Amino acid sequence: MAQQKIFGYANRISVKQGEDITFYVNCDGASEAQVQLVRLIHGDAHEAGPGFQEEEVAHPANGSWKVKKQFTQLGSFLQVADPDNRLAVDGAFTMFCHIWPTIPKKGERQTLMGRWDTKNNTGFALAINPEGRLEFQVGDGKEVDYVTAELPLVARMWYFVGVSFDPASGQATLYQEGVANRYNSLLGKVVPHDYASHVRQTFRFRQKNAPSTPFLIAGSRDHHLLRGDFVSDLFAGKIDRPAICDRVLSREELDACKTGAKPNAAAILAWWDTTAGYSDRGVGQTVFDSGPHGLDAEGVNHPVRAMTGFNWNGRDDCFRLAPEQYGGIEFHPDAVTDCRWEETARITVPQDLKSGIYAMRLRIGPGTGITEEYIVFIVRPAKPSAKLCYLIPTASYLAYGNESLSFDAHIIQPMTGQPPVVTELDVETYEHREYGLSTYDHFEDGAGVCFSSYLRPVINMRPKYRMSSMNITWQFPADLSISAWIRHQGYDCDFITDEDLDREGLDAIKPYNCVITGTHPEYVSERMLDAQEDFVAGGGRLIYMGGNGYYWVVGFSRDNPACMEVRKLDSGMRAWAAKPGEHYLQTTGEKSGLWRNRGRAPQKLTGVGFIGEGFETASPYRKMPDAWHRTVSWITEGVEGEIIGDQGLAYGAAGGIELDRYDLSLGTPPHTKIIAATGGHSDNYVLVTEELLYAYAGLVGSLDYRIRGDMTYFTAPNHGAVFCTGAIGYGQALPANGFDNSAAKVLANVVEAFIKDGPLPGTKWTLEEKQWR
Amino acid sequence: MSKKHEKSGYTWINPLAAWGTAVGNAAAPSVEVPDIREDWDKATGYKVKTHKVGRLKHYIIWPNHGEKLWSRWRWWPTRRNLLHVTGIYNRKTAIAETKILDRRPLYWLICLAFLAIAPMLFPDNMQNTLLTAGTIFGIFAAINVCWTLIIGTASIFSLASYAVVGTAAFLTSWLSVTYGVPWYVLPVIGAVIGLVFGVAIALPALRLDGFYYALLTLGLNELCRVFFTTSREFGSASGGLYGADSFISESWDPMVQSHVGYYSAFLLLLMSLSLFRLINGKRLGRILRMAPEKREAFAAACGVDYKRARIMIFLITSVALGFIGGFYAAQYRGVAFSIFSFDTVLLGLAMLAIGGIGKAEGAVLGTLVVIFLDKVLLDWGPMRHFMIGALMLAAVLFLNNGYFGIKKQFNAWREKKRGEWRSARTEKGGEALPEEATEVDDKDQLYLRRFDKIQRDYLKTLITPEIIEEHRRQPLGQHSEALERVLLYFRRARMEDKYALHRAGPEGPYKIIAFSGTRGVSPRLVDDREFATVDEGYHGVFMRRVHDLMES
Repeated sequence: MAQQKIFGYANRISVKQGEDITFYVNCDGASEAQVQLVRLIHGDAHEAGPGFQEEEVAHPANGSWKVKKQFTQLGSFLQVADPDNRLAVDGAFTMFCHIWPTIPKKGERQTLMGRWDTKNNTGFALAINPEGRLEFQVGDGKEVDYVTAELPLVARMWYFVGVSFDPASGQATLYQEGVANRYNSLLGKVVPHDYASHVRQTFRFRQKNAPSTPFLIAGSRDHHLLRGDFVSDLFAGKIDRPAICDRVLSREELDACKTGAKPNAAAILAWWDTTAGYSDRGVGQTVFDSGPHGLDAEGVNHPVRAMTGFNWNGRDDCFRLAPEQYGGIEFHPDAVTDCRWEETARITVPQDLKSGIYAMRLRIGPGTGITEEYIVFIVRPAKPSAKLCYLIPTASYLAYGNESLSFDAHIIQPMTGQPPVVTELDVETYEHREYGLSTYDHFEDGAGVCFSSYLRPVINMRPKYRMSSMNITWQFPADLSISAWIRHQGYDCDFITDEDLDREGLDAIKPYNCVITGTHPEYVSERMLDAQEDFVAGGGRLIYMGGNGYYWVVGFSRDNPACMEVRKLDSGMRAWAAKPGEHYLQTTGEKSGLWRNRGRAPQKLTGVGFIGEGFETASPYRKMPDAWHRTVSWITEGVEGEIIGDQGLAYGAAGGIELDRYDLSLGTPPHTKIIAATGGHSDNYVLVTEELLYAYAGLVGSLDYRIRGDMTYFTAPNHGAVFCTGAIGYGQALPANGFDNSAAKVLANVVEAFIKDGPLPGTKWTLEEKQWR
Repeated sequence: MSKKHEKSGYTWINPLAAWGTAVGNAAAPSVEVPDIREDWDKATGYKVKTHKVGRLKHYIIWPNHGEKLWSRWRWWPTRRNLLHVTGIYNRKTAIAETKILDRRPLYWLICLAFLAIAPMLFPDNMQNTLLTAGTIFGIFAAINVCWTLIIGTASIFSLASYAVVGTAAFLTSWLSVTYGVPWYVLPVIGAVIGLVFGVAIALPALRLDGFYYALLTLGLNELCRVFFTTSREFGSASGGLYGADSFISESWDPMVQSHVGYYSAFLLLLMSLSLFRLINGKRLGRILRMAPEKREAFAAACGVDYKRARIMIFLITSVALGFIGGFYAAQYRGVAFSIFSFDTVLLGLAMLAIGGIGKAEGAVLGTLVVIFLDKVLLDWGPMRHFMIGALMLAAVLFLNNGYFGIKKQFNAWREKKRGEWRSARTEKGGEALPEEATEVDDKDQLYLRRFDKIQRDYLKTLITPEIIEEHRRQPLGQHSEALERVLLYFRRARMEDKYALHRAGPEGPYKIIAFSGTRGVSPRLVDDREFATVDEGYHGVFMRRVHDLMES
């Protein structure tokens, strides 16, 4: 029997009562899965907390589902819609494109463009051979004939490559020229490389075109007995302005095309203008053909656009300034943004199902480890009814979706100060890599991952999971500690997600008195940020429950709302750095990177912003002098002594992991008070890089006073207010000691005040003090 | 453990103690930390003698074609190019240059051209001897090239090749003598006889292995000898059968006759080499080389139909050998019994062994050497047979695969010697030596090795029972400087074989694993030892790393 494992995802992450949700399941070693709708109560089995808790919910879909093995198409490529097979050229033709290969010597063939069937060896394709040389091949179903360039391609250099083939004479001529300028490539002109290669070979036969073979860019058709048709021989790197003409172009004509010029219109079969379609709101996944037949190409698994092209001059740093320099489309053989599995089941969320965090629990065989899957979704109320709203940071879940830092990132152990603790689930997903990467990972060619979607199993967005590099819960399972506490307190609470906030803006949270965030709402779009700012300014109360929040600028794809984009650049604690000129989001046209670098430091909304991080210990908070001021003294009411949060599920205290600090110079509202602050952090806690102008010795916990988490409070117009915990670990501290602890007490004071209509406590103590002491 | 720093009584005070956050580790017995610059000051040079490295450019290297169109020629009708030429970037200069990956076609061309003009170079007094020897060489080389297809490519130890040639030669001679069949039909008839013979010896090859098959074919050879020597029709009285028609007219000048003989044998050799190239370089040859003796089952599992391939090779080579037999009869007007004699088979084997089995050039060179000794150095008398024996013995004793295996064998030997020299010169985990640096493209790695070496030498002095105990008590959190330095080093290690823990259940137990450092390759379990708590696991990892550090 095959090893048993089950994985799945849903088409939605946020569903309203009464709406449908569809599930997609891939299963090995079983044909039926035991299915149960569950409400997730608490996600961490840590002994200091209540343990893992779920509540089974009656639903007609419970019982047994038929499941099967499903296959995932990995890799990004372009598929040309060519219903009339106009590109099935039987006669003479010329194909060319500009390329910037990243791993030319991959040891595997990488197809650049063509109509090629790998299984049957039919068609024609321009490719890079396993040794890293440009190669053109034709196949007649029995044999393959090819011509190979003289010199290997050098990684990260721009080339203009092409081939012309005349079946009448059998002559196939390769054209390869370097088109590097001072900016666009890895190496400059001081390197004595010659990049040019022009090779002619006389072929013995011509291509045979099968009608069903698609014209692909950056991949070629393959077939597997069980799986059916799929795409293999995927290309890693950039392609700019690919084209195909229906006759042999002369050397002079190709010399002109090298500069980006279009060949004679009469010769063009298709000329994909990779620079078309840009607006100041970004660009989609369709690559337009400006040739006579309009054979547009569609991106699969999000080839990255808004990337510099072969003619990037280094002066214009955004496609909004010079779209004609942004024809580069970057392809990655290990990208996946939509698994495109067959539907397994569709259910309707009952009208009376309470808003909350739910999951479809699927089990096969023993039902533990990788034989158990939770497909998580959030149920929103059809109509808002509660005063409190829990804003689930799904954008941040996507950012971390399936991260594999423990396995691939050599910096993770120095960062976390401990050896990782991995489980069977981590090893399984790492080994198979079918479910894609997070925005913390690199593709195999070293490029950072900028797209993440939930149309794939996201193994760390499930209960019971602990982030292996830190051995604590992170993001979704950590946020369950907050919802468990809300439930324990008995507050009436509605749940919504980042996605809803991005779609609906302020309307999504306007009905509520108080919005509480997750432990680490790090990734926010402009609409999400605007909505929360307007919410607070309009009298709403915001509880920012974490650290390192409101940090990265993200955008959601127009054509696939399940997919989020981020580019990491310039400064900030970042897993990778976008290349020069590639700092703008293709999904929205905005500059990505840190909100702080765009004039919206998190301090402006919340009062605090990221200052330091450390992962092996945590500290409690101690009340700051302002805590005794009557405007805020109600917050710490009922806490004995000055220490807050000395227990917790994440390293034993509330003040840890990632810390945020009050900073007037970054826009902390001037009337903000620091209620309490953490301190005494170990040297594993380091200063964040965006604070760094010059690096100097001693930017660590025990030496730098700035490295601390600030618990802050300020009031906003119309009875609005913002309370911040200033540390990620606060959320995981709530369940400690049966929810009876000082951190939970403080939060309860705040929530209970915030959900009440009318003025907040302490608002009358606002006169200038006349003091005797 | 440490030699230097066992200063007792040093207590480290945790800077976090004042905050009350130094949980469990407010102070710890530790060691004072010396200045690492002392170790850098000591590292002023290699401990071994260093030598200049580099290889002089001593032959012409052609530039690449660059802008120029490079029209490539092919061996019609294949897709193979005339020479396996490719461009590379020189690692020393970054300049593109041309490299011929396989120069053998050039060598062949030169050698064959030499054979073609050789008669013009023969000294007058040796002219006749050399032409006769050259003719014999051509025919025997052709036979041996076919034979090496069987022994080398198909790795079937058949000794019946001369039996096929002899049988074809006798039968065609007999037909020509008896029925007056003209000379130009003889090779064709020989080929048909070869085909029949081929079928007869192909079948047992499917059932018999190596040694037994060799015995069988030797027996077959003997059977033919006995049959022909005892049959009156085949000239049992005269030691052979002569009188067949020939393309060499007896009316010609003897020198012309010798020259025609020489060049016709040369032509035969060329035909035989073409056959070798066609089979060995194409599908059939590849299939056969995939299924050498004792690995047939594996090849069959891979989908290779080796039985079919073996029958094919037998039939094809037997046809060719039969053709050569017919040609032989037409050349010499008949054939002698000595073709079947045991020493012919042995001489043939000697030719193959000296040149190297499985290679056409081996078969040709081996034949050349043996024929030269046997037919040219007649003055040496019986000594020359002793020489052949000695050469064969030397080839078997000292060479892995004949003369043409020497290059590979030499390279392997040099590699072995290099390994020995290196291991004598380098320290394990030490700095890269100049000769090693030539193999590293990323020169940053050379510095990393220097840095790492000094770092490790330094950290080894910090490993003391105190810091081990400190780690055991508190694996995570702020540590004394000595322990912290060691831990920072451990954590920065590269991913390959970096340790971590594997957790089986929600709260353990834990086992130590090591990451692969290769994307998509899962970590390996280091050992079966289980740790009940995560802190014990962390300490287990630490002790492994300490062990690795002290070993290095």
